Amino acid sequence: MSVYITSTGHHLPGEPVDNARIEEVLGRVHGKPSRLKRRILEANGIQTRHYAIDAEHRTTVSNGEMAALAGRDCLERGYVPDPRLDMLSVATSQGDLVLPGFGSMVQAELGLPDLELHTSHGICSSSMMALKAAYTAIRAGEHGNALVVASELASRLFKASRFEAAGATPDFDAEFLRWMLSDGAGALLLEDRPRGPSLRIDWIRGISHADAFPVCMSVGRPNGRGRFASWQDYPSYAEAEADGALLIRQDVRLLDRLVKLGVDGLLRLIDEGRVRVDEVDHLLCHYSSHHFRGRIFDLLTQAGAAIPEKKWYTNLYTRGNTGCASLFIMLDEFLRSHELAEGETLLCFVPESGRFNNVYMHLTVVREDTP
Amino acid sequence: MSDKVTTAEGQACLQGLLRTWFDFERQLSRVPIIQRLERGRFTLEDHRRLLCHLRQQVIEGARWITRGASSFDRDFADVRSLVIEHAREEHRDYEMLEADYVAAGGEREAILAAERNAGSEALHAFMMYRAGQPNPVDLIGAMWIIEGLGQKMAADWARRIDAATGGDGEHTRFMRYHGDNDDAHLDKLYALIDRLCRGEADRRAILRTARVVGRLYALQLEEVDHEPA
Repeated sequence: MSVYITSTGHHLPGEPVDNARIEEVLGRVHGKPSRLKRRILEANGIQTRHYAIDAEHRTTVSNGEMAALAGRDCLERGYVPDPRLDMLSVATSQGDLVLPGFGSMVQAELGLPDLELHTSHGICSSSMMALKAAYTAIRAGEHGNALVVASELASRLFKASRFEAAGATPDFDAEFLRWMLSDGAGALLLEDRPRGPSLRIDWIRGISHADAFPVCMSVGRPNGRGRFASWQDYPSYAEAEADGALLIRQDVRLLDRLVKLGVDGLLRLIDEGRVRVDEVDHLLCHYSSHHFRGRIFDLLTQAGAAIPEKKWYTNLYTRGNTGCASLFIMLDEFLRSHELAEGETLLCFVPESGRFNNVYMHLTVVREDTP
Repeated sequence: MSDKVTTAEGQACLQGLLRTWFDFERQLSRVPIIQRLERGRFTLEDHRRLLCHLRQQVIEGARWITRGASSFDRDFADVRSLVIEHAREEHRDYEMLEADYVAAGGEREAILAAERNAGSEALHAFMMYRAGQPNPVDLIGAMWIIEGLGQKMAADWARRIDAATGGDGEHTRFMRYHGDNDDAHLDKLYALIDRLCRGEADRRAILRTARVVGRLYALQLEEVDHEPA
């Protein structure tokens, strides 16, 4: 049984925010402009992004609402009416509530009746895990279709007041992601048949290396050698916040590992015959920063497995790094902006630094003339 | 395509070597002393112990390279020249390592008296055996791992060791020195890959030796925490 992506959708909240206006929205920590901002923005290359909070730090649209808007956009462009949807598979790094699962909130927001629900948890790769769950359910014949939604509302973590509550000026690892991540949602509709021009999912493959490497990106982990291993170990949540345990952190020194593992995975797929470099027409890679694009390209070139730069597509620079939603938002804009011919192939790659999980996907353009 | 390796066989070999290296790096990250290093829980005593256990391999490394050189016949005279040159550059590196040990607060007599650990024994025996075979092209698999380690020590370990032990570079000179030379060494290795990997049998032998050397090197580092220093 083949599985096809027959529709896509997205939601990016509010107007695009350019680099000069970031601190107007997120705020200045202790009233002072950031010293790191310019350097990090220069490295990541992002020019504009979207936030679901306003300059008064009011949430303008919740994570669940964003997911639902992306899902609705996708469904309206597709052929499956709500009551005929079989499965909803949803991903986020952090829902609006700690519990219940994010999927329940998105289902309610969309008003979708009687379907099977899946929520996957993680960071950037969680969307691909949600996608794989839906893909395998259809392949197994359990369902005829599935809506997959990935949504992120990271900006709530970056309000100046969060850093101020944690005391002194944030260290590099705590501030790094403030200039990287932003908000948005993307959605894909999967079916067991194509509709007009569709993307056949040839395979999805995840390779996780959590056993070999330490945590690289986290929320809830105390920084330093205190008594506690988790934010939930503190006597009160207020003490966890004051200790900086609720800040989102990136151990930037470990990021080069992610690049190597990403290239290693691709070489593995080449070895297995799943990828033929010269037959890849488009590469959609969720790199978090322009800086890493160069590193990945250099390593692939060194390995003799380079995919020419003209085949690389991203909308990172204008839509921002929206974590797990990035690849779906990228795929949606790619399909809207490209006229694809039957047989063209797309290789998608989502590396996750959290604890080193890389997911790859191969798609082929197919056409069915009478949808 | 890589501008340094140009033949199709060389490219396939290089892809295999890169994968072997990445796998080896993951093995290293599971070794207790390297985990402590990567998590900033590394003490000066750990550093002395690490140097003690590395020393034998550094001494023996120069021996298997020279033995390997002598095993290439006249059809490989160009290769022999390159390998001899490489061995000449490195064959007394262990003296710098000993000086680091003393700078890290160790007694010179202690490191001079240290013996090969179980991993070093296995690595040494395997390398001397391979190096004694006629035209041992698979030695570039071993060189790939050892040179890669030199770069890793210089680019990563030395900095981490100094950060964790409050050092100013005085007791990480051996590791740092390697990085200065290894770019040139790697370029020579790329040339050797093109020269020596001419078919599937060569490639399999090279990759197998690289894998075995990586595994035994990891064993050598595991032994740091198993044997008395």
